[in-house]
Amino acid sequence: MNLSHFEALLVFALFVSVVFGIVTKNTPRDQFRYGVFVFFSFVCVATIVGWLMYPLPW
Amino acid sequence: MLNENSPNAPAEMKTAVRELPRLNMGLTVAICCSCFVIPGLGHILMGRWIRGILFTLAIGLMFLMGLSMQGELYTSDLNQAPLRLFGFFADAGIGLMYWLAEHSHRLGAGNMSARTYDYGTAYLWVCGLLNYLTALDAFDIARGRKP
Repeated sequence: MNLSHFEALLVFALFVSVVFGIVTKNTPRDQFRYGVFVFFSFVCVATIVGWLMYPLPW
Repeated sequence: MLNENSPNAPAEMKTAVRELPRLNMGLTVAICCSCFVIPGLGHILMGRWIRGILFTLAIGLMFLMGLSMQGELYTSDLNQAPLRLFGFFADAGIGLMYWLAEHSHRLGAGNMSARTYDYGTAYLWVCGLLNYLTALDAFDIARGRKP
């Protein structure tokens, strides 16, 4: 399997957010909302940190 | 706000809090161990079908993708760098699938020159750690601490 970094990040965030959402909340609505929050948190934070590190020379 | 411990609390409120099904410790341990055979199996055995199937799919697919991305499964070899034991602890959380992949001698060897090696290794670590979480979740449900 030859995913790009961003695709691997999306798939990783999807799987982890599914498990986090189910484990941490009790009702299906809360689980879905928390899962979506975790997914977008992963993607946004990784994108921001990636751009912050982009100009670093090492 | 009426507390369920209050003497004036309605009877149905008290029973709703106390009536979570609770398994004995032997069955609870068996349920937790079954999570290490197949991720999510403990939840399926307790009748939590959707939860169990989602765990099986998410963690199982993550493990397979980690292997197919040429990630590395860490071993418990003490002659290697000691910090690799943390990686072994994380990888071993997947249970039976780790043992099967490790004994196949082809899967999980890791290929550092592959572009996806780092991601694959992280996938393998994290799916093991998530499986520890699902085992703890199954423990809580079996002991009646979670609905």
